[in-house]
Amino acid sequence: MSVLRLSAILVAVVLVAGVSPGVGAPAQEIVFTSNQFTPVEEQEWARGTLLRRFTEESGIGVRFITEPEGPYVDRVLAEARAGRGTIDVTGTLHGIFPVFVAENAIRDMAALQRQLDARGDRTFYRDLRDVSRIGNIQAFIPWMQATYLIAARREAMRYFPSGRNPMRMTYDDLLEWGDNIRQATGQRRLGFPVGPRGLYGRFLHGYAYPSFTGSQVKGFKSAEAVEMWRYLRRLWGVTHPSSFVWEFMHEPLLTGEAWVGWDHTARLIPALRQRPGDFVVLPSPAGPKGRSFLSVVVGLAIPRVAPNPDAGARLIEYLTRPATQVATLQGVAFFPVSPEAARAVPTGGLRVMADGVSAQAGAPDARTALLPVGLGARTGEFVPIYVDTFRLIAIEGRDIPQTLATQARRLEDLYRATNAPCPPPDPPMRPCRPD
Amino acid sequence: MAVAEAPLELERAGRRVDWTPYLLVLPTAAYLAVFFVYPMAQAIWLAVSDPQSGALTLEHFRRMSEDLYFRQAIRYTVLITAIAIPLQVALGLTIALLVNTRFPGHSIFLYVCAIPIAISDLAAGLIWLSIFTERGYLNAFLDALGLTAQPITFLTYERPVWLIGAIVLTEVWRATAIVMIILVAGLQLIPKDYLETAQVFGARPWQTLWHVLLPLLRPSLQTALIIRTILAFQLFATVITLAGRLVPVLAGEAYFWYSLYRSPNVASAYATLILVLSGGITWVYLRALRARHEEVAGG
Repeated sequence: MSVLRLSAILVAVVLVAGVSPGVGAPAQEIVFTSNQFTPVEEQEWARGTLLRRFTEESGIGVRFITEPEGPYVDRVLAEARAGRGTIDVTGTLHGIFPVFVAENAIRDMAALQRQLDARGDRTFYRDLRDVSRIGNIQAFIPWMQATYLIAARREAMRYFPSGRNPMRMTYDDLLEWGDNIRQATGQRRLGFPVGPRGLYGRFLHGYAYPSFTGSQVKGFKSAEAVEMWRYLRRLWGVTHPSSFVWEFMHEPLLTGEAWVGWDHTARLIPALRQRPGDFVVLPSPAGPKGRSFLSVVVGLAIPRVAPNPDAGARLIEYLTRPATQVATLQGVAFFPVSPEAARAVPTGGLRVMADGVSAQAGAPDARTALLPVGLGARTGEFVPIYVDTFRLIAIEGRDIPQTLATQARRLEDLYRATNAPCPPPDPPMRPCRPD
Repeated sequence: MAVAEAPLELERAGRRVDWTPYLLVLPTAAYLAVFFVYPMAQAIWLAVSDPQSGALTLEHFRRMSEDLYFRQAIRYTVLITAIAIPLQVALGLTIALLVNTRFPGHSIFLYVCAIPIAISDLAAGLIWLSIFTERGYLNAFLDALGLTAQPITFLTYERPVWLIGAIVLTEVWRATAIVMIILVAGLQLIPKDYLETAQVFGARPWQTLWHVLLPLLRPSLQTALIIRTILAFQLFATVITLAGRLVPVLAGEAYFWYSLYRSPNVASAYATLILVLSGGITWVYLRALRARHEEVAGG
């Protein structure tokens, strides 16, 4: 047995060693890690198109490693602690950078930012540059951004409440829409990604809460929040009951199980790519306190212990070039961080999506929410508090004020333990505390 | 002289410790130590130590037990195990006995029944999801027969029994094969003499099965039960695929605490709990089945 195992290991080692220095390999190779682009198609695209162009131009090979958030963060932190790194560039969500900054795992990107500014071919949206300052350093160079929207099949539009404007949709319109579909077809066709790795939690804390209460955390158990949960219970009543297994809404939208679906732009785009003529993209709904939406910012940084920081800086320059940003939008539906890139208009499904994005961001009642920062190693506990509350109230039917009181204590404990500030649009008090 | 010395040397060699067996198991032992014992010890340490101070603490177990999904995870893991395993053993035994009759074509039948072994649990979950989903094969089939006007939503939180049913069905489909293989091997080890003797004494097939085959098959049944129960406590991907987190299970919660909540300590507490439960169940099986074996031998 052990001989077999040994020889198997030997064969594997020989195979791996034999393959990696392939024919015509570039002189230098750097390592780029991320927790973005995890779906296989996106990985393929990143390796085969995005990074290959960089290698062709610079002669620097890029080994791209994408992992789920847990192992990804562990890897960056472990290299920093060990004092010896293999990662040259790392790209991740704005909300994860505080963890890196707290552990002194990444370099200050201010110098590279000045170099990029000096080139004069790209600027970055001011609010994105503002959020890249974490602690005393600029933690990242803005790379790309995303948001969450509603995509709907065209046949669903005829059930939209009459006399109402879909581009100015309210939460009441959404409920009535779902109810109209249910009454007309006998099926619930509204869909949300409530599956284990779905992003429904973002809908709760970044869309519903600020739209109903004007805050993500402070108003957690307010009277407006109780009202909101009553609404969400009704909304759940017209939502497709299989929503709890859905993680990427483009799948049920394409099969027709869902006609109207809310999700992350990157998780809607495959449907729009396949059948751009069959879908419309609408802004997220507005509530009593405005039309709140999350802006997701992804940034690039160089680890403190990176072995090739100069080659890493070249990769960052390439990735933030306006032409590359447009290619990124076309490849994986992440939106540009530079107005120069945004002006280059995409076509087809992306055009539809871009219209939805600008309708959301440009609405007069728009209210931007940002992902929570400053929770450090406990960042991962934030969203589950909202999802658990949803489960208790909407699925298990528990009493709303009582459940909110219990869950608010969890939220308060989390913020007190980490002394973190409230995420916008809440006022920046520290530690944040539900009223 | 040389002839006289040879046995003497052999005798001396016999008294010395023979290292050959130890050398032979050394690679396996080293492999197990590096890849199983060390990570296991590390996981247990993570579960009982404070990440900052390194002091011993039960905090992670407290957080685990206070979690919304904890009780449900225990309940559902035990429930699914308790329903699926008897079904798997009964079905596996039936197929094994059927194969053992060596009917024409029995080897093809055996291979077909063994196919699910080669399929990962995630793939099995996806296969059955594509059957049960609203636009799945089952609804298409019912629609083609004209039995339903509207597709039926089988997988819904509104019908928890159907959800559990779908998970059990997938588990039975996926894991019966391994029980069957173990039992087929066990059946083939039973000498034909016993069956012939039973025939000579006029035992009916049912009596032969009950009084001869099953007692002799006990060691194989024991192995099959232990393997299946331990694997059932690790049940994860099929459940997540079919029911999301509406049916929480222990291994799934360990995964979520690690990857979603980013708390390796509480994840390790779950892992330790699974280890203790698996160990406990194995001990119970070993004791229960051995005790009865001695009883039989004594009687």
